[in-house]
Amino acid sequence: MLLPFLAFALILQASLPQTSQRTIAIDEAFAAEAHLKVGDRVAIAARPGASAAADMVVIGAIVRRGADPSQVARGDFVARLHLDQLQRISGYGDRVDRFAIATRRSGDIDRTLLRINHVAFGFRAYRSSDIAVETSRTFQVVSRFHRAIGVITIVASSIFLLCIMVLKVEERRRDIAALRLMGISRSSVVRSIIIEAAVVAVLGSMLGVVLGWATSLFVNWHYQALYRTPLYFSIVTPPVIGLAVSLSLILGVGAGVLASMRLVRTPPLELFGR
Amino acid sequence: MSSLTRPRSGALVSGSAKSDVNPLVSLREVRRDYALGAERVHALQGVSLDVERGDYVAIVGPSGCGKSTLLNLVGVIDQPTSGTVTIAGKRVDAMSDREATSFRLHNIGFVFQRFYLMPILSALENVELPMAEAKVPSDDRKARAAELLEYVGLSSRERHRPSELSGGEQQRVAIARALANHPDILLADEPTGELDARTGAEIISLFRRLNSDGTTIVVVTHDEDLANATRHKVHMRDGRIVDA
Amino acid sequence: MRAALAQASLIRHRARTLLAVLGVAVAAAMLLDMVMLATGMRESFRELLLSKGFDIRLAPKGTLPFDTDATIPGVSAITTVLRTNPDIREISPVLGGSIHIGVGANDVSAAVLGIDPTVQGDYEFLSGRDVTTADALVANEYLLKKLGARFGDTLNVAAGYDPQTRTYSGQRRLVLTGKVRFIYGATDQPGSVVRRETLEALGGGERRDRASLFMVRLRKGANPDSVRNWIETKIPNVSAISVATALAKVDQRLSYFRQLAFILGAVSLFVGFLLVTTLVTVSVNERSGEIAVMRAIGVSRAHVVQQIVLEGVAISVVGAVIGLGLGLLTGRYLNAILSAFPGLPMAIDFFLFQPRAAWSALGLLIVSGIAAGIYPAWRAASLPIADSLRREAIA
Repeated sequence: MLLPFLAFALILQASLPQTSQRTIAIDEAFAAEAHLKVGDRVAIAARPGASAAADMVVIGAIVRRGADPSQVARGDFVARLHLDQLQRISGYGDRVDRFAIATRRSGDIDRTLLRINHVAFGFRAYRSSDIAVETSRTFQVVSRFHRAIGVITIVASSIFLLCIMVLKVEERRRDIAALRLMGISRSSVVRSIIIEAAVVAVLGSMLGVVLGWATSLFVNWHYQALYRTPLYFSIVTPPVIGLAVSLSLILGVGAGVLASMRLVRTPPLELFGR
Repeated sequence: MSSLTRPRSGALVSGSAKSDVNPLVSLREVRRDYALGAERVHALQGVSLDVERGDYVAIVGPSGCGKSTLLNLVGVIDQPTSGTVTIAGKRVDAMSDREATSFRLHNIGFVFQRFYLMPILSALENVELPMAEAKVPSDDRKARAAELLEYVGLSSRERHRPSELSGGEQQRVAIARALANHPDILLADEPTGELDARTGAEIISLFRRLNSDGTTIVVVTHDEDLANATRHKVHMRDGRIVDA
Repeated sequence: MRAALAQASLIRHRARTLLAVLGVAVAAAMLLDMVMLATGMRESFRELLLSKGFDIRLAPKGTLPFDTDATIPGVSAITTVLRTNPDIREISPVLGGSIHIGVGANDVSAAVLGIDPTVQGDYEFLSGRDVTTADALVANEYLLKKLGARFGDTLNVAAGYDPQTRTYSGQRRLVLTGKVRFIYGATDQPGSVVRRETLEALGGGERRDRASLFMVRLRKGANPDSVRNWIETKIPNVSAISVATALAKVDQRLSYFRQLAFILGAVSLFVGFLLVTTLVTVSVNERSGEIAVMRAIGVSRAHVVQQIVLEGVAISVVGAVIGLGLGLLTGRYLNAILSAFPGLPMAIDFFLFQPRAAWSALGLLIVSGIAAGIYPAWRAASLPIADSLRREAIA
């Protein structure tokens, strides 16, 4: 996007005469792939194999790329050149693909856009934020997909939780029968089961949060390395934790209520005998 | 009864006469120790006992005297720490699990205090279960199960689930089940323990009938009526037989 | 009898069994979707690449087809070289670009392909007349709608727009003759097709004898990899891309989805496994007395294990069958979301149903159902009979 589709032919400089001391910046992925470091000298050309038209440059900086969602998963390398050099070697003449403009005050943006587009000759001005929306379409699709997967996962884990909780309470049928025979009231029995279910749900979801947090660390580490981007792929936020804990609490308590109500309505002796 | 006789086994309910060894059951110097926490419990401390074929024996004594342990050893669901147990001429005290299982299936009939029928099977199916395990063809086992239920007086209750039967009826199904594979011996652990006096008496008379038709029976019981109905009583105390 | 026992014991706790089946169904649906996602995308892309039977594509060195505006010079020379290889049956050079079509006072811009209609592999012809003459233009549905034109209408078509001078490198009147559907077209992309010589002419001198892409069809039985290597040595300024190399590229770009599919699939399988294990374990614990009695009356260990494993498998199978239907539905829904993925052909399916995917999901579930039953079954079968009976009697 910065340098549209410019192919670089890199030729190790040793055999070539030194014609320039100008510098370029390349990104980390490029440096790693081509085994380049700051101070190395390389020849650059706009077309593959065009060594005759190559310029010699020094690698002045190795930079980390900004977090650009539209670039994720594309294996492109990026190099930055001084504008005049790029214009010369690419045969672009005195042209650029775009200008970036900063206004003094944010309120000036609309007026500036209008004025530029009014006098523009062969170009158009856009808000950066509008362009950002366009380039993050990939991520909008991916996050919609994630949301859908998330809903399915929540449904699945709800059923799972409900099932476990019902089983857990049913396992206690004998204890419940004993309590009832001792003369403990139904409501006390139900209450104690609900408290137990709630404790299990909270402890379980806390364990889950720790597990999720550790997983997200791993996911970020893995994908940041894979796609060579500083973008975060998974963030555990307070609302996410809140959702997880409250969901399991609601389901746990709900299952506890359902199962224990059923059990306390059954005569205690029947609970013993099954 | 003649219509119920089978060429292989004689009468419907009698011991299968798979061997004519006497005595049928023979225990020699049997000890059984348990680990209970750090302590060792000596449940049986050198018991010797013979049960003749066709006998009807009650083992009586206070709780914890080792009578259930003795019954478990004869039933081959437990093994002695030392000593020998022989049933129908076969040493059963050191059998592998596979041998023991097969032995129980074909030679032992169990009746428990709490009946322990499969709650999900009908009365008839409960009686069929050991025969199915012994690979008796479906038609044969259905016929035999029906005959056995008739013998215990439950032919009208074949299709009922255990939960639809009274305690006495459940125990009679359990007895029919115990007889399914023509066992050499019927073992019963407190068979009247969960029953009222009247149904208990029914079971006692059923046992008498079984014994007079040729079935060897050993019962463990606190029930004096049941104990008095047997041919022999064996008294136990603290893991020993005090008089036979 | 064992099947009847297993069935009866599942029916005994109806609500519990239903919940477990439901849980397994959702896990199975997820698993199926993830198997579909892991294998479908690739398979769908492969089908797409091979749909017109072209095995190899030539793009300007170092690029993927239509990834850049770069073109390959010397079409006739390259064609001559390619024809010397007996394995090559057909060659289809394609020139891509964009055109502007005047509609009243406005311009509609569209992607355009210059092709030879007898050997093209980029579109399916739907209706009207194909580009059989030099002045013909066919368009896809989206462009037709934007133009509001009918077959037979004459269009003012211009190409090579220079925004600085606001001039075109070429302009021509073309007749709209037909409707096509692009095989590799992305969603909402207006597209059109003309003959390659027409597009070359529109591009002025600069685009003469150039192509953006060559598509090469091989003789049956020819090895695409050896032909690919042959091409790259004979014609150094092109990248020859076989279906396998293209798939490798796709794999690399969409690896995220494959890994996600793998992880989520594994998680669903584990959840299903856990659910079945828990259910069967609890049910075994509840029935320890019953099991001890069965063992006491002579039921063998193996049969106890079989019956309990059967319970786990029954839950898994019923859950999996329900999950299959559920998975197809959710797969379709998720596919609809991802089909809006920018820069991918419309025809790419992320979730492609293949019987193999269904079978492998089902197989995995049944295996995990068996595995889930084994631990509780083993525990049940090794219960000490006398102890369990005594404990049952005390309780």
